[in-house]
This record gives sequence, structure tokens and C-alpha cells, in this order.
Amino acid sequence: MAIDKEELKQKILEFATKKAKHKSKMYIKDLYKAAPDASPRQIKNAANELVREGKLEFFSSGSTTMYGVPGFGKSEKDQFGELEE
Amino acid sequence: MADVKKHDTPMCDELKSGPWPSFVDDIEQKGLKGKQDCLDLLGQLELSYVHKETHWKHGGIVGVFGYGGGVIGRYSDVPDKFPSIAHFHTMRVNQPASKFYSSAYLRKVCDMWDHRGSGMTNFHGSTGDMILLGTTTDQLEPVFYDLTHQMSVDLGGSGSNLRTPACCIGKARCEWSCLDTQQICYDLTQTYQDELHRPAFPYKFKFKVSGCPNDCVAAIARSCCSIIGTWKDDIRIDQEAVKAYIGGELKPNAGAFSGRDWGPFDIQKEVIDLCPSECMWMDGDELKIDNKECTRCMHCINVMPEALRPGTDTGATILCGAKAPILDGAQMSTLAIPFIRMEAPYDEFKDFVDKIWDWWMELGKNRERFGELIQRKSLQEFLRIAELKPIPQHVKEPRSNPYVFWQESEVEGGWERDIKAFRARHAA
Ligand code: HEM
Ligand code: HEM
Ligand code: SF4
Ligand code: SF4
Repeated sequence: MAIDKEELKQKILEFATKKAKHKSKMYIKDLYKAAPDASPRQIKNAANELVREGKLEFFSSGSTTMYGVPGFGKSEKDQFGELEE
Repeated sequence: MADVKKHDTPMCDELKSGPWPSFVDDIEQKGLKGKQDCLDLLGQLELSYVHKETHWKHGGIVGVFGYGGGVIGRYSDVPDKFPSIAHFHTMRVNQPASKFYSSAYLRKVCDMWDHRGSGMTNFHGSTGDMILLGTTTDQLEPVFYDLTHQMSVDLGGSGSNLRTPACCIGKARCEWSCLDTQQICYDLTQTYQDELHRPAFPYKFKFKVSGCPNDCVAAIARSCCSIIGTWKDDIRIDQEAVKAYIGGELKPNAGAFSGRDWGPFDIQKEVIDLCPSECMWMDGDELKIDNKECTRCMHCINVMPEALRPGTDTGATILCGAKAPILDGAQMSTLAIPFIRMEAPYDEFKDFVDKIWDWWMELGKNRERFGELIQRKSLQEFLRIAELKPIPQHVKEPRSNPYVFWQESEVEGGWERDIKAFRARHAA
């Protein structure tokens, strides 16, 4: 089934915004749950487009990348213990 | 001297007293030429030695527009003491294949970085990129513009992305190379631009390309997908040169054993007895190799480079899953494809990559390396999704698991049974 990209982006954004209230940073896998019918590649493309549009943002430790919703959580506080890059 | 303030750093200074050049000297010299960032960096390092903990925060929301990698946010957690390194972001610059530079390019990069960053660099990071150490958030876009528009280079990979592919020097300088390592590296970099610049995976993914099994880029130890040059036909032997090694006219290992008397070259002891598959012998004064037993270890070729050369029917061996010891210890890549042609546009190889990436994107856990997924789901499962036929070379050791599980598709009629038909033959 072909999934409309704008619709998918909307689903991801709604899902992420809801989630951001209690957990401000999510992995790409968490976003898969926004649209179980979409393939991982479709989700990642849509999520990356949302970042380009400024609706989501990347948070990177250098080794791992997470997604956030602008305005939720303070970037300085979000440290996740990494061992390497 | 420029108007800069050096901190009191007795423990860092101690590191200058050893016999080798010290990074402390380098950083301090740069600082005294007018870079307060460098002196603040040493000041913060001294404080870390006192407290025995780091004073860098980890990560952050920095990047350049359209990219989700290449910039790694670093912030000091004691910015009041060391204001010039309050932001100290790292930028990764995609190195050219095999790291060929012109001095003009290096000068440009250094001038740009003196102007826009700390002036400190690291040639090269473990993945292979050129690392520009330390700049502020407002300089990221200008640096990106200068790199891409003035110097025609790009940022490298970081985060949950494809990392900058890396390769050995290959055919550019090495007669052993069975692959055009630079072309493969460049092609993969171009083909997978999206994966390189925008997070796509549960974690990082690395390609490394070595032209022969000497594996100078350590692909087998350091990459999720190791591409290592090999050959299918026979090792080329020049029997006259073999005699010249035996007679002492040619120096073994291209003369690498010098500086003391290693005694006369002994082909039996130094080559034949060390062949791991014991597939070499002397027949009179002729060296013989049973090529079907040769594992392409390169030992004999390394010792007698003028007498022995890799064959000419060349391609690559593909191995998967190396990783560092974060979870469950370090592991080397394991054999996937014993021989594959590697000629542009590398369609067969890229088909394989698509299959394994789809699997990992779907089933990989957060921060699970590709090699850990293979470990968790088993080699059988990996071979199945990659549509590779299991072969004895995939087996590392005798089975420790006596069970064989069939897929439903492998069993005639599947798992469904007609219970009535069964009961007609067997009492309940
Ligand atoms: C010349 C004939 C046979 C030879 C050489 C032979 C050899 C062996 C060997 C080496 C094992 C041990 C396998 C292991 O290490 O796990 C074994 C196990 C076994 N064999 Fe045989 N076998 C023979 C005939 C038979 C026959 C005729 C039967 C049954 C009618 C039989 C039933 C078994 C069973 C049940 C086991 C498993 C024992 C256990 O669970 O520990 N074998 N056999
Ligand atoms: C469809 C046919 C069969 C199936 C699915 C089957 C399945 C099994 C299973 C699952 C085990 C336990 C393995 C373990 O956990 O150690 C087992 C053990 C065993 N089976 Fe069968 N079996 C079948 C037919 C037979 C037949 C026809 C015989 C002998 C005439 C037999 C003899 C044995 C023996 C001796 C053991 C070893 C018991 C032990 O070591 O404790 N099996 N089998
Ligand atoms: S890996 Fe092989 S081909 Fe590449 S530089 Fe080393 S010896 Fe040469
Ligand atoms: S390459 Fe290694 S395995 Fe092959 S013949 Fe030479 S020493 Fe033996």
C-alpha cells in the first residue's frame, strides 16, 4: 500500500509531540510506532524531512542520533552516557 | 606574545617530560600564538585530572542545515572558568579516498580553521575523517559553506548514520591490490549520500575497503561491512626470483629485516612451514603451491614479493559485523560472501547491502550494531535474509548446537496437517 508522505509526516509529528511531553528525545525506532504500516525507510525519510522543515530536531551525541520536538526538553540536560563515538 | 592567558596546569605539564612529543606541547604552542581556546582546553583538562571526571557535556542539537551528521556538539560544563571553550564543537570532514591531499588544500583548511575554529585538528579520526576540533555554534554554517563551496569537500558521517567509508591506498601505490579501492570508496560515498548525512539506522554503520588480505585499513576489525580484495586463480610464481631469494640475492620481506643479523634466508622455515594451510612445498628447486587449499593469507607473498604475486582473476571477499567492545566484547567481521566481482556500478554488492540494511532497520534494537544483530538473530538468519547459500566457509567451529530448524517453506506441505487424514492412519 502506498502511503502518502504528508500524511505520514503528520502522523509522525503528532506521535512525537504526544510522546515529547514525557520523553523529550526518541530513537528512530520509537517513531516506527507512529505508523506501523510504513516501512522503516519511509519513516526515516519522512522524519528527516520534518527535521529539514524545522518541525523535528536532531539530537546527537556523536555516536547516536535521536529525534526531538523543538521546545521540549533542554538540550544541555539531555546527556545519555555514551562510551564511544 | 599574543594577549592570551595560560592557566596553571602542573599535571598536564608533567606529560611534556616524557621522551615522546606530547599533545600538551602542541596545544600549548598553538595557544601561546593567540588561541585562548587551546589554553582553556588545557585548563579544563587539568581540572578533569584533579576531579578525575570529564568536564565535557555529551552531545546536543547542533548541525548544519539539511544534515543530521558531521557535527558533534560539545559543551564545557565549567564555562565560567573557561569561557572560550563554552562551545567546542567537532566537525568531521570526509577525507579523500586513501587520504591523498594537496598541500594547497591542507593550507586552505588550516587557514579557514584558524579563522573559524580553534585551529586544532586531528589527522585523522578513527573512522578516517579529518577532524576539526572546537568551534562555536555560530561558526558551523560558515565552516560548512567554506568547505563545500571553496574547497569542494563535504562533511563526514556521525551519529546513527553511515560513517565515512574508508579504504587502503590500493592500486594507487600498492602492487598487491586486487581492487580499485578508491573507486569503490568514492562510489559508496556518493551512492549512499542520504544514509551518510541523515540518520537512517539504529546505530552507526561502517564500510571499509582493503585491496588485499593484508587489510591495511583493518576492515575486518573495524567495519560492519568489510570489503577485502582477493583472487580466484593461482598465485603467480616467478621461479627465478624464488631461487634468488633462496640464494640470498633478493632480501626477504623487501629488506624489512635489517639492523641485525637475522641469518641466511630459509624458505622452509620462513615460508613453507608458516603457511597456515600447509599447501606449499619444494619440488627440487621449484616452489609449488596447492592453490585450492590456499586461504589467501598473504604471508608467502609478503616475504617474497618479487617471486610471488596475487592472481589476476580478482574480486572481493565480503565480511560483516565487526565492532568495538561496548556490549559482549569486540568482534571481527564474519565471512558472508567468499568472492564477489567488484566492478562499477557494483550492483550485486549493492543488492546485498540493501537486504542487510532492510533487515537491520527493521529488527535492530536501539544502539545495536549490525554485528550484534547477527549475533542475536544467528548466522543462519543473516544468511537467509541476505539470500546467501550456507557453505562450509561460514562455519567457524564445530557445531555446539545439535538442532536443525527448518523454515516452514522448506517443508513440503508446511506446518499445516490434516488431522483427519492423520487419525485415519494412527489411533489417538
Ligand atoms: C554401528 C552402529 C552404531 C554406531 C557406530 C553408533 C554410534 C553412536 C555414537 C558415537 C553415539 C554418540 C553420539 C554423541 O556423541 O552424542 C551414539 C548415540 C546414540 N545411539 Fe548409536 N550407534 C550405532 C547404532 C545405534 C542403534 C542401532 C541405535 C538404536 C536402535 C542407536 C541409538 C543411539 C542413541 C539413542 C544414542 C543417543 C544416546 C544418548 O542420548 O546419549 N545407535 N551412537
Ligand atoms: C517424528 C519423530 C520424532 C520426533 C519429532 C522426536 C523428537 C525428539 C525430541 C524433541 C527429543 C528430545 C531431545 C532432547 O531434548 O534431548 C527426542 C529424544 C529421543 N528420541 Fe525422538 N523423536 C522422534 C522419533 C523417535 C524415534 C522413532 C525413536 C526411536 C525409535 C526416538 C528415540 C529417541 C531417543 C532415544 C531420545 C533420547 C532421549 C534422551 O536422551 O533422554 N525418537 N526425540
Ligand atoms: S591492504 Fe593490500 S592492497 Fe591495500 S595497501 Fe595493504 S597490502 Fe596494499
Ligand atoms: S597465501 Fe598464505 S595460505 Fe596461501 S600459499 Fe601463501 S602462505 Fe599459504
